[in-house]
Amino acid sequence: MAEEEEYDYTKIPPTGSVEGIAAGAPEDSPRIGVYVCHCGINIKMVVDVEDVTRYAASLPNVVVARHYIFMCSDPGQDLIRKDLAEGRVNRVIVASCSPRMHEPTFRKTCSDSGLNPFYYEMANIREHCSWPHGDFHKEATEKAKELVRSAVARSALLEPLEEKLVDVKPEALVIGGGVTGMYAALDIANGGYKVHLVEKKPSIGGHVAQLSRTFPTLERVASLLTPRMIEVGAHPNIDLMTCSEVEEIGGYIGNFDVKVKRKPRYIDMEKCKDCTPCIEACPVKDIPDEFNEGLSTRSAIYIPFPFAVPPAYTIDAEHCLLLKEGKCGDATLETIKEGKAVPPCMAACPGVIDFEQKDEIEEFTAGTIIVATGYDLVDPGVSAEYKYGVYPNVITSMEFERLLSPGGPTGGKIELNGKEPKDIMFISCVGSRNKQVGNEYCSRVCCMYLAKQAYLAKEQLPDADVKVAFQDVRAFGKGFEEFYGDVKTEGVFYMRGLPGEIYKKPGSDRVVVRGENTFIGEPYEQEADLVVLGMGLAPNKDVKSIISMLKLSTSVDGFLMEAHPKLRPVDTATDGIFIAGCCASPKDITDSIAQGKATASGSLLYLVQGMAKIEPAISQIDEEICIGCARCVDVCPYGALELDEVRHVMTVNEAVCKGCGGCNSICPSGAATMKHYRDRQVYAQIEALTEITDVGMLAELESAATAAVAAEASAGAADTGSEAGEGEGAETEAVPGAE
Amino acid sequence: MGTLYEDMVAYGGEVFGKEHMETLRECVQCGKCTGGCPSGRNTAFRTRKLFQMALTDMREEIFNSPELWFCSTCYTCYERCPKGVKTTDLIRTIRNLAAKEGHMSVPHRMIGVYVLKTSHAVPLGPAQMELRKAVGLDEMAPTAQKYKDQLEQVQTIFKTTGYDAMIDFDWDTMNLKGMDKGGKK
Amino acid sequence: MSEEEGTKEYAYFLGCITPNRYPGIEAATKRILKEFGIETKEMMGASCCPAPGVFGSFDMHTWLPVAARNLAIAEEMDLDIVVTCNGCYGSLQEADHLLKGNPKLKEKTNEILGKFGREFKGTTKVNHSIVVLHDVIGLDRLKEKITKPMNGVNVAVHYGCHFLKPREVRGHGSSETPYILEDLVKVTGAKDVDYKDKLMCCGAGGGNRTADSVQSLEWMRQKLVSAIEEGCDCMVHPCAFCHLQLDRGQAEMNKAFGTDYNFPILFATQFLGLAMGLSEKECGLDIQTTTMPEKLLK
Repeated sequence: MAEEEEYDYTKIPPTGSVEGIAAGAPEDSPRIGVYVCHCGINIKMVVDVEDVTRYAASLPNVVVARHYIFMCSDPGQDLIRKDLAEGRVNRVIVASCSPRMHEPTFRKTCSDSGLNPFYYEMANIREHCSWPHGDFHKEATEKAKELVRSAVARSALLEPLEEKLVDVKPEALVIGGGVTGMYAALDIANGGYKVHLVEKKPSIGGHVAQLSRTFPTLERVASLLTPRMIEVGAHPNIDLMTCSEVEEIGGYIGNFDVKVKRKPRYIDMEKCKDCTPCIEACPVKDIPDEFNEGLSTRSAIYIPFPFAVPPAYTIDAEHCLLLKEGKCGDATLETIKEGKAVPPCMAACPGVIDFEQKDEIEEFTAGTIIVATGYDLVDPGVSAEYKYGVYPNVITSMEFERLLSPGGPTGGKIELNGKEPKDIMFISCVGSRNKQVGNEYCSRVCCMYLAKQAYLAKEQLPDADVKVAFQDVRAFGKGFEEFYGDVKTEGVFYMRGLPGEIYKKPGSDRVVVRGENTFIGEPYEQEADLVVLGMGLAPNKDVKSIISMLKLSTSVDGFLMEAHPKLRPVDTATDGIFIAGCCASPKDITDSIAQGKATASGSLLYLVQGMAKIEPAISQIDEEICIGCARCVDVCPYGALELDEVRHVMTVNEAVCKGCGGCNSICPSGAATMKHYRDRQVYAQIEALTEITDVGMLAELESAATAAVAAEASAGAADTGSEAGEGEGAETEAVPGAE
Repeated sequence: MGTLYEDMVAYGGEVFGKEHMETLRECVQCGKCTGGCPSGRNTAFRTRKLFQMALTDMREEIFNSPELWFCSTCYTCYERCPKGVKTTDLIRTIRNLAAKEGHMSVPHRMIGVYVLKTSHAVPLGPAQMELRKAVGLDEMAPTAQKYKDQLEQVQTIFKTTGYDAMIDFDWDTMNLKGMDKGGKK
Repeated sequence: MSEEEGTKEYAYFLGCITPNRYPGIEAATKRILKEFGIETKEMMGASCCPAPGVFGSFDMHTWLPVAARNLAIAEEMDLDIVVTCNGCYGSLQEADHLLKGNPKLKEKTNEILGKFGREFKGTTKVNHSIVVLHDVIGLDRLKEKITKPMNGVNVAVHYGCHFLKPREVRGHGSSETPYILEDLVKVTGAKDVDYKDKLMCCGAGGGNRTADSVQSLEWMRQKLVSAIEEGCDCMVHPCAFCHLQLDRGQAEMNKAFGTDYNFPILFATQFLGLAMGLSEKECGLDIQTTTMPEKLLK
């Protein structure tokens, strides 16, 4: 586009002011100050900020317009503070970035100077203007003016709102007893608050308890984890609920009503002495041992692993003959009651086993919730060309961890069917970074656990040939790259290229890996007697019910979605609910613990204060108009609306409402409106944007399109950081904005 | 003529869609294609390398290498590519562009001659007619080989798209022009 | 598609190799389908499909209208198509898929077909004969007709490539863990034997056989050896083009490499034909290169 005069942003001075046309307006009328930000050069490069400032000064109710290089800086905020202190303005508009970025900043600037923060308005001339329209200086400047005009129109109609406070019950709920949940629970408990820790399995410890050693420090996981597990189990502030699942959650920040189902262990945990006679007595002995990834078997009465917490046995109801088939030997539930025949386990350990135990529902209120539900290993069947499940020599990395563990099925010896492997091949990125299997993301831990496993293999079997077939080695953490170097020096050979397929060597029990060494560009066929698949991490399948109970969102990869991927990594869109660890994305022990502790800190913020602010820009029912049809109840994703049976009008639970605007758009009578997004405020914005001056046309618009306008209001709500239209399975980013 | 990549996107995109062709840029050179390639372990054909060469615009090197024709289009790599690169369709597109520039061997061109003459890439001979009769079938299946007007329809397609010219087909002799030309024009 | 009581009709797209090299495949397929009340109608004026890896490699813009013309013939007959060659299957199904998904391409193609009064509408469906056997007739009905069970016969299944892949077009599930041919082999009482290069290409496709026949035969040799090493008695497959490579190719291979392989190659309907009591002659197995052992004929 040919410019008459080349725009040179370097000529724009760092600051400047223009007196507005409303200067000298009476004190009780809206007196707007407009502050245009250069954002360094982010806005100024494209948008002529001086021109925008001059334009702003010409708009109704504007008493002053200023521009400054960085409005969010202290001197920038001082411009606002000074105008407020001198009583020059009573409405503030900053034309800068997304409200997601700095609305809280400037609202605070206003409230610190005594102005109700809801008299603050923002025009996004960066994400919505200078960034996307970088090549169109003239048009972008025009658009910036329109955005400012629209904000000015709205600003004059804003109302003050009061932020309300709710009490916070000083207890937290942590869902998931893996390393992340354990650390979150410990920090809160050590901070002096009660924690309900709910774990589905009979023991806490999660996947980490299955691991042999850590990377890159090679410490034994059992010795690191056991003291922490015992601490959790014994902590007076931790109410540990194992074999338990969250059934129902209602309420809102500070007051979440929780129902937990405790499944019976059929054991009196107080009396169980953690000995072995019951195991020996149990006739069912061929159940694949989950903890050993099916590499060994267990009985129906069992303890998941030696250092389990709580250190108590459990009867597996799915496999126990008495519970599954009603009969074990001569014993039935009846004969036990009658004091006649008892099953072998009861005979071996009288007075401890109790088949009369039933599901118990426990109810409590929690102030905050931490979701730490962890991950599942990707199903190795997704890369069928590697023949997992077809050839016994092909195992998963988690199975290999069990082979390496002193407490594992081989006592820590690397062997398959009693034989030591001579040629071991590790394959990276199985089920990760792979569009064909539907997991495009990197699982982040495989590179380093494979390095560790290969190192430990070489350490235990120095004569073995140990190779790692890889596509990239991502050694990004502290000490990782150094460790990767050590692994190679130790004699592990890294061969670049993802293998194509695996076949069984005819007439032998060995397999052959076919691949290409891409560095030399030659295909190879490598014999191996053990192939370890570096399995990726997938979202926990069992977490679906928690997602719907808590109305959490998931990102495209299926992991739980944070409130902001950069700035709010452990928050969710709902205040008081946090996510941590691998339920949010794959991560190693270090990062999982860090997130666990971060969520503890987030929780403590509320628990310590004992109260929480709630969003004031929420739904309001005009009781004069409301006909009590309750259609809004169906669309409200938060259950915030209730029918007052006596007066036959709807009522809004202000603590539960998130201001999404759903009721606003469905309400047939126009009774449900959004505070801070009143119809007239939104109309004024639209009018200013579209420059509709024909009054008749506007009236038509008003009467015809309540729903359309309400939708606009919802969109407005979204732009301020509320979560319009979010819910289970939402795959898009919650809030528009480009940062 | 743009870069080889641009030509591939433009040409192959018409048939498969541009996005299909643009997957080439997603290649991370992991080698899974070559690793399971039946040709790769028997010939000098390297799928992974071919894609890198295509992205670095090594048009002449690719077009002049006999290996380009050693892919059997078995789709093994297509199915396994972790990045969803549409390997086989990309290879076929590169071959189309090569053929258009005259890189087409006489035996390959002869397949076109058979179809132009008989409508079949594998034509029927007297011996095969006997085989048909032996299993109780008519000596000639009622395909376009049997009907002049039907064969002409197939020939019309070849003429319209210029396939006859591409292989140097001589309508008078119903054979390739000058059989002594070798592999290239 | 017409479907009278108990009868179903298909337009049988023959392609090149079935009618012009291995009429036994054509005869056995027609016989077996008829046995289950399925009529195969001749597609008058059909041509080469044309080969997807060959014409698709040289000029897609010629390959597509020729394939579309063949599809149009079936559409004029108001019938779905059945094929006995993976090349035909691949070509016709892919052309159908591309034309249905791309209106511009369809318009361009129909401009060419319009020159002789034909039009691709997208109203036919391309079926493979082994899918008709497996899904339309079904294993239970097939089993009822097995009069000469193949007990004790070890079969190496060979899929060829374009039957399974690309899976997004073919729709037969994972190409790494197929099941259709295995089911058809097992229904005869024979044993389906896993072997090293089970999913490997025969070596012929994509103009590879034409480009360099000796190296193409070497692929096939590796495939056959890996089946023979596992004690297989024969190879059963669903593709006339693979049949040409695997059967006739063995003679060429023996000549080129000085070997003397004679590993029986059977198209799926030939194998089922024998199990259903058809003779070696009726299945055309006496007029091909590899010979059938007693074990299969008893």
